[in-house]
Amino acid sequence: MAEKYAVRNLRLCTKDCLCLYVCPTGASDTENSIIDREKCMGCGACAQACPSGAISMVPRIMPPQQPKEETVKTALRALIRSKNRQEAIAGALPGVLAQAVARSARLTAEDLCREGGYMLPQSENARQFLQYVKELPGIPAETAEELLREFFGEQS
Amino acid sequence: MKRYVCSVCGYVYEEEKGVPEKGVAPGTRWEALPQNWVCPWCGAGKESFREQGVPSASVLGPDPEAPEQMKELTPMEMSVICSNLAQGCEKQYLPEAAEKYRLLAEFFRKSGEPELDPSLEEVSRLVKQDLESGYPYGQSAAGKAADRGALRSLVWSEKVTRMLDSLLERYEREGPGMFRDKRVFVCTVCGFIYVGEQAPELCPVCKVPGWKFERIEGGENVWQKNMR
Repeated sequence: MAEKYAVRNLRLCTKDCLCLYVCPTGASDTENSIIDREKCMGCGACAQACPSGAISMVPRIMPPQQPKEETVKTALRALIRSKNRQEAIAGALPGVLAQAVARSARLTAEDLCREGGYMLPQSENARQFLQYVKELPGIPAETAEELLREFFGEQS
Repeated sequence: MKRYVCSVCGYVYEEEKGVPEKGVAPGTRWEALPQNWVCPWCGAGKESFREQGVPSASVLGPDPEAPEQMKELTPMEMSVICSNLAQGCEKQYLPEAAEKYRLLAEFFRKSGEPELDPSLEEVSRLVKQDLESGYPYGQSAAGKAADRGALRSLVWSEKVTRMLDSLLERYEREGPGMFRDKRVFVCTVCGFIYVGEQAPELCPVCKVPGWKFERIEGGENVWQKNMR
């Protein structure tokens, strides 16, 4: 299998359909407009042909993430925990402002968490996280195991 | 004549020029602007502005203390890790994996500690604490480690937090009236909250186009519905 596969940005796609003309495997011809990862052979013909620049080639194997210093992780986690509490408090209050605060607190925490080492679902951190949570009591463990299989090919 | 800079979006109010297109005559002193005057770009209140060239208190203050170390992840932290990885899957067009991470995020969110005495005052206290110590400490730690990604996320979320602080202060002064004839939008990339008639063309903090904003409808919270 080639190292890359094609991804279509649905916001940019203007249905010029040149990708359909040039694709040797029919991977770009799908009902939901999402290019079929399994069929794509990574030749890049569609990305070169697309007049609206809506297709890009993405690596199948992501590079390892940048290492993070402990001090930075600690600082980011402290802020994340504060944002978590802001979300939990605002989430228990009525009104448009409280609702906006809860949403905003979740989004900022997510962004901080991305820079705290959880950017990619393919990363080693994500694998260790899933390994850890699947043992927690009451958790939908099969969901965690499915994700482990999907991204890391791990059998439980 | 002085100049004042918006700490959320960088807009500069120049007393000499005023904002004629918004009815503020040239030469209007900062002090003469009404209390409920807001930044023409991002909507932050007067309290979010700093006089240009005057260092803010946090720069002069002592080094902020390091936060306490915590080994165990809390349920809400795990929820955020999962909802964030769900977004990561979505960006790679992996909708099934995104759905699985969302399911886990929801599981962890529900297993978090319930807030027994929720109030906007408590949110406001936490927001101020972030601005006084959380962000200065984070900036210094990320700066020392030359971690550009962490610095970027700290800059964005600090600006978003300043906006939050401004909105909470305005709400205390003006009450729900501040939302009359207005809608509330949240940038789904950085979390910036905008109060206005329609979403801005570009996010004043992270510069994504307006369609990335989500309108918050208000009324009963989704969470409260879930809890019943």
